[in-house]
Amino acid sequence: MGQSLSGVNNSDLRLRIIEMICKSGEGHIPSSFSIVDIIEHLYGSVLNVNPDNVTWSNRDYFILSKGHGAAALFVVLEKYGFISALDLENYGTNLGILGGHPDSTKVPGVEACTGSLGHGMPMAVGIALGLKIQKKENRVYCLVGDGECQEGTIWEAANIASNQKLQNLSIIVDWNGSAQQLMPIENLEGKWKAFGWKTQVIDGHDPLSLQESLNKSAMHSTGMPQVFIAKTVKGRGVPLLEGHGPWHHKIPNPIELVEIYKVLSE
Amino acid sequence: MSSLRNAFADLMVETGAQDEKIVVVVGDISHGLLKDFRENHPDRYFNIGICEPATVNIAAGLSRVGLIPIVHTIAPFLIERSFEQIKLDFGYQDLSGNFISVGSSFDYSKLGCSHHSYADVSLMAHLPNSQIFLPGSALEFEIFFRESYKSKHINYFRLTENPHGIEIPQEDIKVGKAITVREGIDLTVLTTGSALRNCHEAVEILEHEGISAEIIYLPTFKPFDSDAVRKSIMKTKRFITVEELSAQDGVYNAVLRSIIGLGGVTGKQMAIFDFLRTYGSYHDLQNAAGLSTDHIVQAATDLLQGKVEGPSY
Repeated sequence: MGQSLSGVNNSDLRLRIIEMICKSGEGHIPSSFSIVDIIEHLYGSVLNVNPDNVTWSNRDYFILSKGHGAAALFVVLEKYGFISALDLENYGTNLGILGGHPDSTKVPGVEACTGSLGHGMPMAVGIALGLKIQKKENRVYCLVGDGECQEGTIWEAANIASNQKLQNLSIIVDWNGSAQQLMPIENLEGKWKAFGWKTQVIDGHDPLSLQESLNKSAMHSTGMPQVFIAKTVKGRGVPLLEGHGPWHHKIPNPIELVEIYKVLSE
Repeated sequence: MSSLRNAFADLMVETGAQDEKIVVVVGDISHGLLKDFRENHPDRYFNIGICEPATVNIAAGLSRVGLIPIVHTIAPFLIERSFEQIKLDFGYQDLSGNFISVGSSFDYSKLGCSHHSYADVSLMAHLPNSQIFLPGSALEFEIFFRESYKSKHINYFRLTENPHGIEIPQEDIKVGKAITVREGIDLTVLTTGSALRNCHEAVEILEHEGISAEIIYLPTFKPFDSDAVRKSIMKTKRFITVEELSAQDGVYNAVLRSIIGLGGVTGKQMAIFDFLRTYGSYHDLQNAAGLSTDHIVQAATDLLQGKVEGPSY
């Protein structure tokens, strides 16, 4: 892991993210690169969803709580037929349905409007609770940022989820180290464990690690919610973008773009 | 006079038995009162505890899967503390649900400003899909709740601990409709919720002084019955608004929007302009806010004598 040369997984999706964001001049490239492998894996081999019937009552729910990674979600939704290539083309314009944060009232397959951090995860807890009340088998997955874990509502909801024994709920924390740049959260896994969650640290870019963890989340449910703390690299896939430098909300210039394309096309 | 909070508990038992989609979520308030609902439907009752923002997030999740959340706690914590959750998770996402508060305005008069809520109604009014009710009696609440709880709106029911005690014919109580409690020709007194009591007392005093005041009671704040308001003020040309709400965007402002274009009208706003830092009874705080019966009588008299002052912003 940590390699960002040719052979990086989902380089095609990363290229589409770059194209969308650079064309519109809006978006969070490193945050999207950090999570695109996780989201692709969820839609590719974990979630029980149907792009032809997005309100199917037996579907699994996925909520991107760190809404600023929306570009990663959009390219995956396009890959699996929820939205079109034209939708991606129109990202960030008044012609389309996509923008810097996902809008559930517009985008097929998006379950929650997120963007203000600390909303999607507790809403996912509510969905999981609602499904439990209705004695339904659907599962709920929610992707949270490690920086987002500084929000109080995350821990309010974490306490509720464990008290309600929401074994139909799996949280994935995108542990890309953003929190460490702000007000560090020490022993993230220990904190979730202390809140009564089943925890597992995984590699958020490794298909095998994702498969071993997320694909088995349902069978490993043991009367408690699960959190997968996914080690990731912000900007993963392009050395220029990796880490916590100036790239969080920056758009590459033409020279930088050439370098990015070169790395992702190798 | 039955309390609105008891009516709430009884309504939950009744509608909860009929409608399996109802889920009651409370923030450690009315836990005892809701005992019957809790025991009848333990899988649909949750005392979430002391974490109001997440409680609202979670209620949005319940709504997302087709359930009907009833979220209940003290007004400032339910609405003002949690407003971003209500705005984004219900408003922006176009989800429906029911928010039922206690501790209307300064009902918790001995607890201080931390437990007061003056801006809750104006905040909720900003949501395009909201309906707002300030029932002043148990009957009003029951009628509004039954008609609205499963609508596709965000319904806010602001329950008062101080019912107005004025008898209003059941057939006059309708969602979105103003009620002409008393007809008059010299001025219109417009009010909502528990403040009707003082308005009613004041109008009786004014009557003894030969002043004929009309009372327009607005237990539904949104949708606002602009037609009834405009019609009354068109007749009287003078009005007073009396509201246990922030002066910034309440009944007075809605009345002004309703009478745009009417000439020769004068009016007076009686509302809450500052934190009420005193302690005491509900009536003590009404007095401190300038919303007592005597204040209303004085304001009406001043208005009729042409002593019109702008609101003291």
